[in-house]
Order: sequence, then C-alpha cells, then structure tokens
Amino acid sequence: MSHTPQPQTTENAMDTVSHVKNSRRRIAATLAGVAGTIALAGCAQNAPQDTWVPKGDNAQKIDTLQKIVFPIAGIVGVLVLALAAYIFIKFRDKGQAIPAQSHGKPTVEIILTIVPALILTVVGVFTFRTIMDLAKTEDTQMVINVTGQQWWWEYDYPVQTEQGISQPIITSGQLVLPVGTNVLLRETSRDVIHSYWIPALNGKKDAVPGRIHLLRLQADKPGIYAGQCTEFCGLSHANMRMEAIALSKEDFAKWVANQQKAYTSPAEGTKAKEGETVFINQCSRCHQVNGLKDANGKAIISAPDENVYAGAAPNLSHLMSRNTFAGAMFDLVNQKCRDDVWNASSDAFGAKYLTGVTTDCLNEKNLRAWLRNAPAMKPMYSDPTKLAKTGGKYRGMPNLGLSEDDIDKVVAYLSTLK
Amino acid sequence: MAIIERPAVATPAVVTPQQTLGAVKRPVATKGWREWLFTVDHKKIGIMYGVVAMVFFLVGGVEALLIRLQLAAPNGHILSADKYNQMFTMHATTMVFLFAMPMAGAFANYFLPLQIGARDVAFPRINALSLWLLVVGGIVLNASWFLGGAADGGWFMYAPNSGPIFSPSHGVDFWVLGLQIAGIASLLGSINLIVTVLNMRAPGMSLMKMPVFTWMILVVQFLLVFSLPVITVALVLLMLQRSYGATFFDVSQGADPLLWQHLFWIFGHPEVYVLILPAFGIISEVLPTFARKPLFGYPFVVFSGASIGLVGFGVWAHHMFASGLGPVSVAVFSIATMAIAIPTGVKIFNWLLTMWGGKIWYTSAMKFAIGLVVLFTIGGLSGVTHSVAPSDTQQTDTYYIVAHFHYVLFGGMVFGLFSGFYYWWPKVFGKMLDEKLGSWNFWLMVIGMNMTFGPMHILGLQGQPRRMYQWTEARAGEGFFNLGFWNLVASIGSFVLAVGILFFLINVVKTARNGKQAPVDPWDARTLEWLTTNPPKPHNFDRIPVVHHLDEFFHRKYDEDPATHTMRKVAEGEDLVRAEEAAADAHIHLPSPSYWPLVLSIGVGTLGMGIIYGIPLMVVGAAVTLFAAYGWVLEPSVAEDIDFEPSDTDGHTKEIAPLG
Repeated sequence: MSHTPQPQTTENAMDTVSHVKNSRRRIAATLAGVAGTIALAGCAQNAPQDTWVPKGDNAQKIDTLQKIVFPIAGIVGVLVLALAAYIFIKFRDKGQAIPAQSHGKPTVEIILTIVPALILTVVGVFTFRTIMDLAKTEDTQMVINVTGQQWWWEYDYPVQTEQGISQPIITSGQLVLPVGTNVLLRETSRDVIHSYWIPALNGKKDAVPGRIHLLRLQADKPGIYAGQCTEFCGLSHANMRMEAIALSKEDFAKWVANQQKAYTSPAEGTKAKEGETVFINQCSRCHQVNGLKDANGKAIISAPDENVYAGAAPNLSHLMSRNTFAGAMFDLVNQKCRDDVWNASSDAFGAKYLTGVTTDCLNEKNLRAWLRNAPAMKPMYSDPTKLAKTGGKYRGMPNLGLSEDDIDKVVAYLSTLK
Repeated sequence: MAIIERPAVATPAVVTPQQTLGAVKRPVATKGWREWLFTVDHKKIGIMYGVVAMVFFLVGGVEALLIRLQLAAPNGHILSADKYNQMFTMHATTMVFLFAMPMAGAFANYFLPLQIGARDVAFPRINALSLWLLVVGGIVLNASWFLGGAADGGWFMYAPNSGPIFSPSHGVDFWVLGLQIAGIASLLGSINLIVTVLNMRAPGMSLMKMPVFTWMILVVQFLLVFSLPVITVALVLLMLQRSYGATFFDVSQGADPLLWQHLFWIFGHPEVYVLILPAFGIISEVLPTFARKPLFGYPFVVFSGASIGLVGFGVWAHHMFASGLGPVSVAVFSIATMAIAIPTGVKIFNWLLTMWGGKIWYTSAMKFAIGLVVLFTIGGLSGVTHSVAPSDTQQTDTYYIVAHFHYVLFGGMVFGLFSGFYYWWPKVFGKMLDEKLGSWNFWLMVIGMNMTFGPMHILGLQGQPRRMYQWTEARAGEGFFNLGFWNLVASIGSFVLAVGILFFLINVVKTARNGKQAPVDPWDARTLEWLTTNPPKPHNFDRIPVVHHLDEFFHRKYDEDPATHTMRKVAEGEDLVRAEEAAADAHIHLPSPSYWPLVLSIGVGTLGMGIIYGIPLMVVGAAVTLFAAYGWVLEPSVAEDIDFEPSDTDGHTKEIAPLG
C-alpha cells in the first residue's frame, strides 16, 4: 500500500522555490534538498485510512479523478512558482533605474483568464461525471441500514433472502459485507450528525438525524478496512471508529448463518451461567442479547430508551464474532490475534475472521477495565449527577460498580456469545 | 478629537442642550487614558483595534500551541477530551472573529481615511462604538473559560450538537452572545466604511483612482453587510433554542439540522473572503511600492476582487459536499467553486507581473508580501483539489483541509497583515521597525509555517481526521515517516512559528524604546497616506489633497520623460508635506470625543450576560443601554466654551467639536 502522493512532492518543492529569493540562497537550497527528499520518501506505509489506496469500485472512481486533478494542480503550481522565483531573482534591485510606470496589458490579462478557465473546464467535466456516477443507486444489490449514535455505529441488515438474510441482523462496531457486491448504506443518526467514512471503499457521507443519506460501498477483495467518524460529534468524536469487513460470498453466508444462530444458554453450574444472571440483572436493561430468557423462561427485551438519551445501546448477541467493542475503540482480541487478522492475505482472511474471538485471543484486560469503569476508558456523559439536561438519561455507558467477582462472571458469560 | 479654530467668544448658532441629560458634558480631555477611552479619532481607534487584535492573536496562538502539544504524540494527555474540544473551538473563533477581522479593521480604520484624503470616517462615534462592542464581544466569548467552560461545538457549531442537551455547559451561550455583539460591531463598522468611501473621497479621486487596499476594504464591507445578517439570524435561532426552549434545530420536533449548515456557510464562505481580501489589498500596496512599478492591471485586480466577493456568495455548499445534498447541487457548487479559482489566479498573475521588470527592494514588508503570493498559491491550488467534490469527500474533515486553509489564512492573510505592519509602522508610530529582526521574524515564520502545515497535507491524505483530541497508533501506519512522525514535525513547527512571532514582539518593544525615527517617506511610497507627517496630525491633512492620478503621491514626486518613459524624481516626499503645511486650511472641523460609545457597549454586554444569568442582570443592561442611547442622542453638538482649553495667545481656542 506504499505510495507517494504527487501533491506533497510539488507543494514542498513550491515552498523551496520561494526560499530561493535573496542572499540566503545557499541555506535555502539545502533546505530545498532536505524538504524534497523528505517529501519523496515521506509517506506512511500501510496507513489504514490512506485515501490513495482504493480497494473498491467507488473509491477507485474518486482515485481516478484525483490522479487527474492533483498532477494538474502540481504542474500549475510548479510553473507559477518557478516563474515567481525567476522574477524574485531577475528583477531584484541591482541599481537599475526606476522602471517605466506601465499599467498592464489587457491581452495578457485575457490570456491569463482564459487559460485557467480552460483547464478548470476539463477538470469540471470529469468531476461532473464522477459525481453522477457515485450517486447511482439502481445497481444496488444489498442494503444495510447504518445508524450513528454518540459514539458508536449500529448496523442493521434488513431481510434480504437473495443474500441469505432471512431474519434481521443487528450488530455494531464492524460492518460486514460480501465482496464484489454493490452495497447501499442507508445512513441516519439518533442524536447529532456523524459521518461514515471507510476511505478504501468510498468518500464520506454524513449521517444526519431525521434524514436518510445513501452511500455506495463495494469491496473488491476480502479484507479489513478502517474508518473513522469524520463529523465532529461531541466529547468522544475521536473514539468513534469503524471497520468494514469484506468477506467472500461463501464466507459472508457463513457469517450470516452464525448471526442468525439461535441463542444457547451456558450450561448450569458454570461461571458463565452465573454471569448470565449478572448480565440479566445489570446489563440487559440496555444491551439486547437475542434469545436470552429469564429464570421463568420469559424472553428478555432490553429497553435502552429508558436509560439512554439517544435510545439505543449496542446489541451484544454474537459479541465474540466481532474483534472490537465500545464503538471500535478497543480491540476484543489481543495484539497477536489482531495482527493475524489485519495482516492476513485476502485468501486467508475470511477463515481467520470467522474464527471470532477464541479464548486464546480474548483481550480480557480491555474488557475487564471497561466493565470496571467504562467512563474512565472513554469520555462520555454518564456521570449520574450531571444528567439534569437529559432528564436523568445517559449518553454513554455509566460506571456500573460491578464487583470483581461479577466482572469475572460477566466476562465468562460474554465469551460464550460467539 | 479635534483642533478647530474659532473665535474665543463664539457661541454655536444652533440650539443645543448644554449638558447631556442635564448631567454629563462632552469629554474634552486630550491627554492620558481618557483620551483613548473616549476618542472618536479613527487613528486612535485603529491603533486600539490593532492592540486588541494582537492580544487575541496571542491568546489564539497559545490555544493552537496547546492543541499541537496534545497531538505531538499518540494518546496525548495534556488536555482532556472536553478541554481539547473547547480549545479548537475557541482557537478558530478567536482567530477569525477576534484577531483576523479586527486586525483588518485596524488597518481599514487607520488607513482608509488617509488613503482617500479624508479627515475621519463618516460616523466617528459609531466607529468608537464598533471598537468597544468588539472588545465587549471578545470579553464575553473568553469569559466562558472562567465561568464553566468555553464553547465545545467547533467554530461551525453544527446543530444539533450545539443544542442545550448535547452541549450542556454555558460555553455555547457565551459563544452565541459574544459573536452577536461582535457582529453588531462589524455591521456598524462596515456601513461606516462604505459611507466613508462613497462620500468622503478627496476631490478628483474617482473610484478607479482609489488605492487597491481601499477598494478591497470596500468589497469586504459589502460582503459583511450581506453576510452578517444571515449569521445573526442563525445565532438568534440558536439563542432562542438554548435559552428559551425554542426548537429550530430539534429533530424530534421536525427540524432539519441542515438548516443551520446552510445559514452558517452562507455567512461562513463570504467570511473567508472577508478575511483574505484585506491582506490582498495590503500587498497590492506593498508590491508596487517595492517593485517601483504601478500595480499591473489595476482594473483587473479590482474587479477580480469584486468578483471573488460576488461569486463567494454562491459557493457556500462546498463546505457541505459530504452533508447529503443531491448530486445536482453538489455538481453546481463544485463547478462554481472552481470558477472562483479564475479571478484568484488573475490576482496572483497580476502581482507577479507587477514585479516583472521592476526594481525589487527586499524589505521585511516586501518579504512578507511575496511570502503571501507563494504560500497563497499553494493554498489556492490545494483548494482546487477539493473543489472537485468526489475528491473532497475523501479530504473533507481531514488534516488536508486544515493544511489548505492555514496556507490560505496563515500563509495568505497573516503574512499580508505582517507585511502591513512593517510597511505602515513608520506611518503610525513615526519609527522604523528593525529590518534585521524583521528578517528573523519572516524566515522563522516561513519555516515554522511550512513545518506546521506542510505535513498536514500528508496527514490528511493518509486519513487523519480533524477535531480528534487524540490519535491512535493503530491508524498511523508504519515506517519512519508514519503519521506519528508528521504529527511531531507539525508540533515542532508550531513552536518555530511561535518563536518567529516572538521576534515580531521583540521588534515592537525594541522599536518603541530606541527605534530609528522614520523619515516622511521611508519607502518612496505611492499613495496619499504618505502625504502627511509620521504619525499623521489629528486632522490627517493640513490641506485636503486634490487627486489627479492613481498613485497620486508617487506622481507628485516623479515625472515621466515623455521620450524615454523613464522616471525622474522632481520632489522629495518631505518637500511635498512641507508644502501642504504651508498651505494649511484655515478652519478644520473634527468630531469631539464622547462617553457614550463605551457606555453603550458596556450596556449591551451586560444585556447579553443577562440572557445567560437571568432577568435582573438583563434589566440592568437594558437600562444602561437605554441611558447611553439617550445620552448619545442628546449630546451637545458643541461643548460649552468653559470645557475648552484656555485661548491661545493668538485668540483661538482648541475645541472638541462633534459631528458624528
């Protein structure tokens, strides 16, 4: 994924051109050399959110356009600044007479107006085409509803039998999609404006409360593609991340099957079973686990709207099929297993991802710290004494005051939610 | 403040109340702090604008340094998330509304009347009111730091995140009120300057003989007159929502949050030109002076400035390419934005061609001016790359945009303002800023600025979003030149930049203590403001000049040999000024100082705080405002004889007489 975007090279070169304009030319030339070298070699390798490494059709369209526009801007810049440097040196005061007081030449002005206009017309035509292409929805093959909330994303897969989805799937943290499929995200928000952005797959689109915005995504190959909320959304905006997981069609079918798998309660007498009880008492008010039943066999339906201002909390059914939690801020897997997934070749990726969070991989440290005191891990509005404006409702997860013993049990229980 | 000559026993012909409200006289002090607090002299007001703006520049600068400290390393802990969000909100707000606009106001106030050969602005008391309202607005905005936390919604303050639920502290309230008060200041100022330019130009100065700086200021004032009402409406809606339970941006009541974005950016984009055009004006004076040639294509520069302003009202939605507008709107705004590059390019070419064939004298003022040309070109071209809407959806809200607008606003605007400092310092203070320190100032700023904002191009294109209080190594990539490296470079650069600005402050102190006395015409300048002493007399010109040329002052000094077209110096600036003194006008009427602009501003500020702290305070504020308004209206148009300094031996009194 290593590359050298054109504009840095030219822009740094431009700065250096400006340096060469008086007696300090030698220092400036040295600086120019250093800046140029840095610029040539100067980009991060494998930056997960690099905007110049398209991995799907939509991002490719943007990339093609950028590869026209940036070089044009770069060339114009180099020419203009070279002219400037020439003028700065050539016409410096060498004791010449005061020049004639000429006021300009309309012909030159007209040429200098028309030439940029022509260049921009060319750019404009390409731009117009790409805008229209990226707005198409008639080739959609699959729909996923994406909802932003302070500070996590919820993914809701409506029933689509042609994709094997026979009952709705609700998940969070990682968006899972099949490769080579034109997916249309229908974005909205439950509170403030967020923005959905997976740079490798497409540009960003805001998720606005009260509106539904459409964003096309398509991934060429299996893999994991990083993203980040890019509309400032309050306290923990920096911690609102996302990851898109592209799976081969077969693997996607397996993932769907697993998400639709019925709930199995842990065996009696295990720590996990005790954890289920703690979960029911402490967590299920907000966090839904599909199929969970109380001691009397009554289905437990969580009611996050009673406690959370925006009205929802992440659905934790099949939590261990995801690699992250808390708005993709923390990894559920340890560093070794994380590297294993992130660095997997596209052939091997699907199998590794579908393994989920095994006991060996579970990053218990993060999970325990979160259960111990969530607001200490991620800035949120969940101090019970400061909720006057929201009528006592939280924005984020409060400190539940769980005992270490309870935390052990809950971790054991959550580990069973494969 | 004024010196008017009149017979010692004269009484005014008009009937006026002898004392305002029967209680307060017009102030007549011409010395000490009273002279400054109650002045209506455009030059003193200009200097105070400059001081206030410089203070806020330093405040905004410290905020910027804190931001860069926090981001120097991953998972920074210098600021909490909450404080960081306040910090970037206030950095932008302070720099835009309390530094850039007032500093442009300082230049406009001081030099616009001088450039058009006038003795003051059209409404001097209103001019003072603009200044004091700005000060009050700035205090209200920054008071929030000490009263429960500053605004935390970003300077764009998008709804619904700015609502009472999502931003529960009073920070946004202070922000809304501070900006409304500062907005009144700008609006009054802009009307004042428009009237001044249109009505008070010296005889012979047609619009197309006006200096380009004055032209650009005129364009800016029109932009303000048409754009400020829009943001005022938006701010009032937000105030009603936050303080009185209105639901303009409450989605659950059917509001559409995009309403705020449209209102904000219809103001916000022309605002960008409000910030940059004064700097363009400044360097359009500096470049010809130090290239010893008139501005190339004066009418093209003027009209491209005006058309940038005009088209600037039709491109606001390019801030919203990711907001979910339809493809047709996006396409239209995308193309319109590209179109703006054309007049901007015209300006750059004209500046370059002004220097072509010139005799370039590299003073500090000139260095900053060509710094603007170079850095703004880079910022302009990166701007073209995200006028391309699909490309922008990858770049918007990343550091690439931060890089872009800092090249435009720091490399462009701030360098222009610094060029103005060095160019006009002798005019304002009668002393020359040190050129050697000026050179350090310039080069450190150039290096610091490119180190700080250059790497942000890379950060943004490689996926680092803006407005994040921390960045994580997990998204920073690998290799030596990963995003961590560039974040560190940017942070170091910001301190280099700060040292550069420190050199300016040192220069100011050194110049004040033992600076070189400025000659009348240190730069062999071209425009009317140099046809008077340094600093100018209170009444600016001893005789109102009659204008025959663009660059009148230059043409009074130089004659063209009709055969060879070479220029021959026929007079020194000093001689010209002495000739004016010898032919001074007999009667010069100038406005008198007044208490009321200051009192009225305090009243308005108190009224604003009342919106946050309740009705009793509001009543006090309203009472003071009302009292000041009546005081203003009923102020004696001429102060009583007893108020004046005793007659001089020649039988004339010094008087402070009112106009505005």
